[in-house]
Amino acid sequence: MDFAFTEEQQFFKKIITDTVDRMVVPRAREIDEKDEFPWELWKEFTRLGYLGLRYPEEIGGMNADPVTAMIFYEQIARGSVGFAQSVIMNILMGTYFVYRFGSQAIKERCLYPAMRGEKIATMCFTEDQSGSDLAATRTTAVKDGNEWVINGTKMWITNGPHADIATVLATTDPSLGAKGLNFFLVEKGTPGFSPGQILDKLGCRGTVTGELVFDNVRIPEENLLGAELNKGVEYLAEILDEVRVMTAAMAMGIAQAAYDEGLEYAKKRIAFGKPIGTYQLIRAKFADMATEMEASRLLIYSAAWKIKEKLPSRLEAAMAKMFATETCLKVVDEVTRIWGANAFANEYNPQRHFRDARFLLYGGGTHEILKDFMGRMLIGK
Amino acid sequence: MDIIVLVKQVPDPEALVEIGASGKDLNIEPKFAVNLFDEFALEEALRIKEKHGGKVKALSLGGPKAMEALRTAIAMGADEAVLIEDDAYAARDGYSTALALFKALEKETFDIILTGRQAIDADRGEVPQMVSQMLGLPHVGVVVKLDISDGKAEAVSSLEGAKEVVEVALPAVFTAQKGLNEPRVPLITGVMKAMKVQIPKLTIEDLGLTKDMAAPENSKTQIVRYLPPKKRPAVQLIPGEAREAAAEAVRILVDIERVI
Repeated sequence: MDFAFTEEQQFFKKIITDTVDRMVVPRAREIDEKDEFPWELWKEFTRLGYLGLRYPEEIGGMNADPVTAMIFYEQIARGSVGFAQSVIMNILMGTYFVYRFGSQAIKERCLYPAMRGEKIATMCFTEDQSGSDLAATRTTAVKDGNEWVINGTKMWITNGPHADIATVLATTDPSLGAKGLNFFLVEKGTPGFSPGQILDKLGCRGTVTGELVFDNVRIPEENLLGAELNKGVEYLAEILDEVRVMTAAMAMGIAQAAYDEGLEYAKKRIAFGKPIGTYQLIRAKFADMATEMEASRLLIYSAAWKIKEKLPSRLEAAMAKMFATETCLKVVDEVTRIWGANAFANEYNPQRHFRDARFLLYGGGTHEILKDFMGRMLIGK
Repeated sequence: MDIIVLVKQVPDPEALVEIGASGKDLNIEPKFAVNLFDEFALEEALRIKEKHGGKVKALSLGGPKAMEALRTAIAMGADEAVLIEDDAYAARDGYSTALALFKALEKETFDIILTGRQAIDADRGEVPQMVSQMLGLPHVGVVVKLDISDGKAEAVSSLEGAKEVVEVALPAVFTAQKGLNEPRVPLITGVMKAMKVQIPKLTIEDLGLTKDMAAPENSKTQIVRYLPPKKRPAVQLIPGEAREAAAEAVRILVDIERVI
C-alpha cells in the first residue's frame, strides 16, 4: 500500500502552491472585501493554462488524474475560495458535459475558449424550490421542430451573471421526475437568456453567484448535452463523486489557510510572558486540528485514487465531502478562538475563513442528505 | 546565445533549522526551494534566449531532491537540465562545489553562465567567482541589468549606494542580484514538460573526481561549530519626553549595548 504522491505529483503540488502564494494569496482579502469578479486575476491566472487541467493534452489540456486535480483544488481554495469557485466551475462542472457530449463545432465555440479562460462557464442545477432534490426541477425543455425551448429560473449559479456558456438542467417531461432530466447548452446572447438577481453572500465573496432567467430561450437541437434523451441523471453520476471530493479538497484548502494563520499567531502572541502556543490547551487544539486534517486528506486522496482507478467510490466520496467539510468548520472555529478578539476584526483573515467555510456545507450535497444517502448504502433501503 | 544557469536547491526560507548535538551540523526541516537569486538568473537567461535565440541549460550539484529545482527550471522554460548527484560532495565547502561545476562546465559549450549572487542557505557567495576563475572567464557580480549585443555584454552591478556599468566580452559569468527581474510563474505547458522530463544525472566519478575527495577532512574549509543567533531580548520602552528619551537611548547604545 503506497500513500505517497508520485514525484510528478509532489512537483506539481510545489509549483501550484508557489503559484497560488504569488498570485492569489496577496489578493484574497481584496477579493473578499470588494465582492466583485476579479477580472485582472482571472486573466493573469487563466493565461497559465490551468483551466484545461482535466482535459486531454490533444485539446490543450493537462490530462491530470483525479489525485493531481485534488492537489490543485486544495491549493487554489487555500489562496481564495471565492476565486477558486470561479476557476473550478470552468475546470469541472461548467465544461464537463460540453466536453463529453458537445459537437466539434460546440467544442470549438465553447469548450476550448473556456479552457483558455476566454469564456466563463457555469452549470445550472439549483432552483428556488430544488437543490439536492433534483427531481423537483421545474425548468422545462420542450422540443419545437429542430429546436429546444427552455423556460425557468435558476438560483445560486456560480459565475452565473458573467457566464458565457451555461449547462442547464431541465426536464423534458415533469411526469418522469428525475428520469426526465437532461442537460442543455445555452450561450450568452441567446434571446430570452438573462442574468437576474446577484446574491449578497456571507462568504465565498468574489465569485459572483446569482439567478439566471430562461424565458422562451430557443436553442438548436444539438445543444442537448447527452448521447440519449432522459439520461441526464446517469451522466451527472459520472462526475458526482469527483465534485464531492473536489468540495472536500476545497474544504482542506480553507482549513489549511486558517490553520497556518493560527499557527503563526500561536507562536507570536504573548500572554503571561510566553507565546500562547506553549500552553497545553492551545497545543491540544493544534493536535486535534492536525489529526483531523490528516484524516480528511486520507479520505480525499484515497477517494480520488479510487475515482482514478475506476473503483466504486460513491460512499467514499460522500464520506470525504462530509468529514473534510466538518473538519474545516472545526478548524476555522478553533482558529478564531486562538486569535481571540482579533478574529472578530475584519482587518484580519480568520473571520474570512470562518465565513467561507460555511458555504461548503451546501455544495456537493448537504450533510443531512449525505448521511441519509450513506445510511441507505450501508443498511439498504 | 547558449546559456548555462547554475541552480541550487536550498532549504525553504520557512524551514525549521536546529543545530545538531555535535554542534557541527544542522538539522533542517525537509522543505526545499530553488535559491531565490538563482531564480533571477534563470529568468534573465530565459529573457536573453527569447530575445537572441539559443538554449538555456540548468545545472545543479546536490542530492536527489535537487531534481525538483531542475524541474522548476524546465517548468519556467529551460530547455535542458543536468544534475550532478552527490549529497556528500554537495555538503562540502564552496571550493568543492565550484570544482564539480567547473568539471561539468568544461564539457559544455556556452556564451553565458548565469547564477545567483549567493545561495540563501550558507550565504557565502563564493562559488560563482571560483567557477569563473577555474574556467578562466571574466565575472561580473551582483548584476541588476544585463544587455547582450555583438558578442559582448553590458552589465550594471549594484554597489553600496552606487552602480557600476561594466562591459565584458563573452563568454563570461554573471551573478544575479534582486532587482534584475521578476521571475515568471510557470505555464502549465512548462509544468507538464517538467513533470515528464527525464533529467540526466552525472556522478562525481563521471567528472573525473573521486568519492574520497568528498570526505569532510578534505574540505579546504572546516566547520568548527555552529552557534545559534543571540536571543533577542524583550523590547525595552524608554519613557519620558522625546529629547530625554533619545538621550537615554544613546546612553544605552553606547554604554550598555556598546554598539555605537
